[in-house]
Amino acid sequence: MAATAEMDSLARRRSRIGTRALPYLLSLPALLVCIGVLIPFFTAVYYSLQRYRLSQPWAREMNWGETYWQLLTDPSFWNTLQVSLSYTVLTVGLQLVLGLGIALLLQKRTRLNNFVSILLLLPLMTAPALAALMWKLMTDPNFGILSYFVSLIGIEDFRWASSPDTALLTVVLVDTWVYTPFIMILLLAGLRSLPRQPFEAAALDGVPRSFVFLRITLPMLTPYILTAALFRLLESIQQFDIIYAMTQGGPGDTLMVFQVEAYLNFFQSTNVGRSAALLLILWAITFAISNLFIKNWLRLRERTHEEV
Amino acid sequence: MYEREKDLVEAFVRGRMSRRGLLRGLAALGVTAATADLLINRATTQALAQDFDWKRHSGSGVKLLLNKHPYTDAMIANLDSFKALTGMEVAYDVFPEDVYFDKVTAALASRSSEYDAFMTGAYMTWTYGPAGWCSDLAEWIQDPEKTAPGYAWDDVLPGLRASTAWSGRPGDTLGGEGAKQWCIPWGFELNNLSYNRAMFDQAGVTPPENMDQLVETAAKLNRDVEGAYGIGVRGSRSWATIHPGFLSAYANFGQKDLNVSSDGQLSAAMNTAESKAFHAQWVQMIRDSGPRNWSTYTWYQVGSDLGAGASAMIFDADILGFFMNGGDNAQAGNLGYAPFAANPSAEAPTPNVWIWSLAMSAFSRNPDAAWYFLQWASGAEHALMGAREKDFVNPVRQSVWSDAAFRSRMETSYPGYVNQYEVSAPGAQIYFTPQPLFFDLTTEWAAALQEMVAGQVGVDEGLDRLADSVNRQLSEAGLG
Amino acid sequence: MEHTSTAERILRGIAIGAVVLFFIFPIFWILLMSFQTNETILRNPPSIAFVPTISNYVALLTGRLETAAGTLDISFMQNLKNSVILSVSSVAVALLLGVPAAYAFARHRFRGSEDIAFTLLSFRFAPPLLIVLPLALYFQDVGLADTYIGLIWVYQLICLPLILWIVRGYFEDIPADVEYAYRIAGHSWFATFRKIALPLAGPGIAAAGLLAFIFAWNNFVFALVLGSADKQPVTVGALAFVTASGIQFGQIAAAIVLSIAPTLALAIYAQRYLVEGLSLGAVKG
Repeated sequence: MAATAEMDSLARRRSRIGTRALPYLLSLPALLVCIGVLIPFFTAVYYSLQRYRLSQPWAREMNWGETYWQLLTDPSFWNTLQVSLSYTVLTVGLQLVLGLGIALLLQKRTRLNNFVSILLLLPLMTAPALAALMWKLMTDPNFGILSYFVSLIGIEDFRWASSPDTALLTVVLVDTWVYTPFIMILLLAGLRSLPRQPFEAAALDGVPRSFVFLRITLPMLTPYILTAALFRLLESIQQFDIIYAMTQGGPGDTLMVFQVEAYLNFFQSTNVGRSAALLLILWAITFAISNLFIKNWLRLRERTHEEV
Repeated sequence: MYEREKDLVEAFVRGRMSRRGLLRGLAALGVTAATADLLINRATTQALAQDFDWKRHSGSGVKLLLNKHPYTDAMIANLDSFKALTGMEVAYDVFPEDVYFDKVTAALASRSSEYDAFMTGAYMTWTYGPAGWCSDLAEWIQDPEKTAPGYAWDDVLPGLRASTAWSGRPGDTLGGEGAKQWCIPWGFELNNLSYNRAMFDQAGVTPPENMDQLVETAAKLNRDVEGAYGIGVRGSRSWATIHPGFLSAYANFGQKDLNVSSDGQLSAAMNTAESKAFHAQWVQMIRDSGPRNWSTYTWYQVGSDLGAGASAMIFDADILGFFMNGGDNAQAGNLGYAPFAANPSAEAPTPNVWIWSLAMSAFSRNPDAAWYFLQWASGAEHALMGAREKDFVNPVRQSVWSDAAFRSRMETSYPGYVNQYEVSAPGAQIYFTPQPLFFDLTTEWAAALQEMVAGQVGVDEGLDRLADSVNRQLSEAGLG
Repeated sequence: MEHTSTAERILRGIAIGAVVLFFIFPIFWILLMSFQTNETILRNPPSIAFVPTISNYVALLTGRLETAAGTLDISFMQNLKNSVILSVSSVAVALLLGVPAAYAFARHRFRGSEDIAFTLLSFRFAPPLLIVLPLALYFQDVGLADTYIGLIWVYQLICLPLILWIVRGYFEDIPADVEYAYRIAGHSWFATFRKIALPLAGPGIAAAGLLAFIFAWNNFVFALVLGSADKQPVTVGALAFVTASGIQFGQIAAAIVLSIAPTLALAIYAQRYLVEGLSLGAVKG
């Protein structure tokens, strides 16, 4: 009996060791794959501290941050930053307004509303690079249907992405077409999960609807709006696919956002150092935003869980 | 082999008869097409095989990275004769031009040994050569062990041989002292006018002979010809916008991209008074008579508009006009060609040239075999076949330009083409200063041009800003 | 909200109509274009009356393309095949690695677990080129160039964090008591995981898997930089195609239709899962 008890406790201890190691074992493979990602990250840091052009191998040397200094004193860098920020602010702003509007329209669970919300998934499921091509076909000055529509309302010779005046507008439009449904879905889910009592009480008291919207709906929805906005902010400031497929950053430097500039620096100028420095600056920006986002999102999760 | 067939085939091999003529002759003798091909291949092989061991690499293979281009088509169509000659296998990947050079850069930068040889332009070797990505081919050309006696490197036009060789020292003359042969010229283009003859007649104009006339004529065509704009030139945000018509006209005014000081330092040269005047004219021409979405225009749009009758003329590669005069283009057969010297006081045109070339990857596992392919593809036999029957023009070899069959083909179907070529060939060369920042600086130049055309910045101010930025980049790279 | 007036209902109807028009019209128009020849596409004014042709699709399926510069062999079908291989394998690998890890993060608060999970998620938001461009310089040296495996590994950057975080949320929702009860009944840890946890988190896993598939399918930049010629997915293939085919607009449209059809079909077929996945498991109305 004593022997078996001893064995039993041994087995339990062993299993406790197993239990302690288990989570590490389970997450290890996933972790290893991701650590593989850290290697290119650190090589990028290393490259960014060098003068490193593939076409001048003899001139490669550590220059300890000089590349960053050159970037910061280069007007084209500030142009890149400005274009990226305008793109981000415009897309996120427009999409929030539209997404919220559409979510409010579709709030009631009717069959029509559900059907429409499914239809609106389609743009979101279209690859952004391909969406850009679709819009490129539709805005062609010779046969594009949108160019035709625009000419119907009396604007001849509208040049869409090929004129610097309207290029930003055009890519923002494509981005809005693709991503508004994302915000809509998140906010719709949020709206539909709001508790009913405050609204019923307000209805009983005959509170005007604008007041209900501003004082009840909006505040309760704020965490959702914030989460959606931060998420889109992160993606938008890194936009590459749509702009690259549409204009490769042109005309002029009108659409030179971070990643397009870095791509061209790498492949056309083979300036690895500058390309890496640009991307690291972008990374620093996104890292700050993603911290905000993840914290915000975790809080949102926790809240919905408490309510459940 | 019967005597009469043999005579016919040999006449073909010696260049006295076109492939089509030969096939017709053989058909008359009752030889089927398949057999005929076999005979031709065998005869070509025998002609080439004299005094040289073409079979040395038999059984090995090479892989090529190719750009989608008529030259590529012509080469692929003739590949069987290479396989028969050498017993080697050939594999290839073909990409369209917009992504082609990114693919080459990606493959070479990663030191990939996948490709043994690839197509390139001379400008690209200013990056690839110093980076150590492609091999100095002089080593092979000069080795009688590795190069067939009939290869005749001297037959390649001297200007092109020089333009594809560079010492690697920024600012050094192409083909000058210590130059390495980074690639072999394959086919080339120079930039002149190709125009729609019917539209010129309709508007009552003749090919313009200087920049002022060009601007006027383009504007007149733009007004008088219904459904077409005056002149097609490239405009996308790319180095390719600068190198065709634009630089050819610019060079005609004696203007340069960069100054090279006596100690080899580089500095911007595009903000002189003459340059500003020229830029202003060019910008005006695009605004008045260029395509509507000019800023997206590449080789493809410039060409297809001319072929479709959407533009009255183009100032671009002569061979672009050549291609658009054939195939299923709406305007096939309607196009004419004219040499163009922008500067009224210039004696002759100064077309900047683009040279499609073949280069050998430094990471090739079997460079000797790769060289077999290169010397066959850039050899006289393939050049002659391509020039007579395919669209392998402009040929880089003098012997092909002297070939009667080729000349008569050009005279009959492409009026004015040979004249255009011969008038401007003496002045045709690369007018850029070779240096490793070529793509940065020309792309930025194109971007500046776009801003000027869009009116975002004045021409003078735009050029001063461009020059500042160029100087700053040169100094950052330790070149100026 | 019961007392909506007729005017308001009409306004709502118009607004919904406008929304649907804006978001659906481009897809509809490209679909129409794909059944037309250049001749009808280039008509002015445009019209939706035309005799449909399937020649564009035939050209794509057979890989023979008539272009301004002659006939072109284009391997669009190969691109489609690559997209399928890359997306399916990436999601399979991500599920295999991600689901156990998600379980570990949900069930066991071990040392550093939050930090690790946080790091993993932040990768999802790092600029993709930051990782991919340096990789381009030594992909060859590690033997991953020109392989599907290399790309599948890079695709984990999108798939893995997504699966990890959505599935973790679902595991956390399963009351731990259920699992304890099963284990006390003498079942092994693995049996508990397989028989209890996995089925209960099933919808979440499906949602995450579908979403990961769509993101992988829609990815553009990884293969653009790292993919060799014969490993390109449709997103890159279609772009190359535009320049190659020059002015054959019907074929471009047909290529786009073929490229987006799989994800759109999935979206309609599995919309419930997608909506759940997209709200990142944060909100379950």
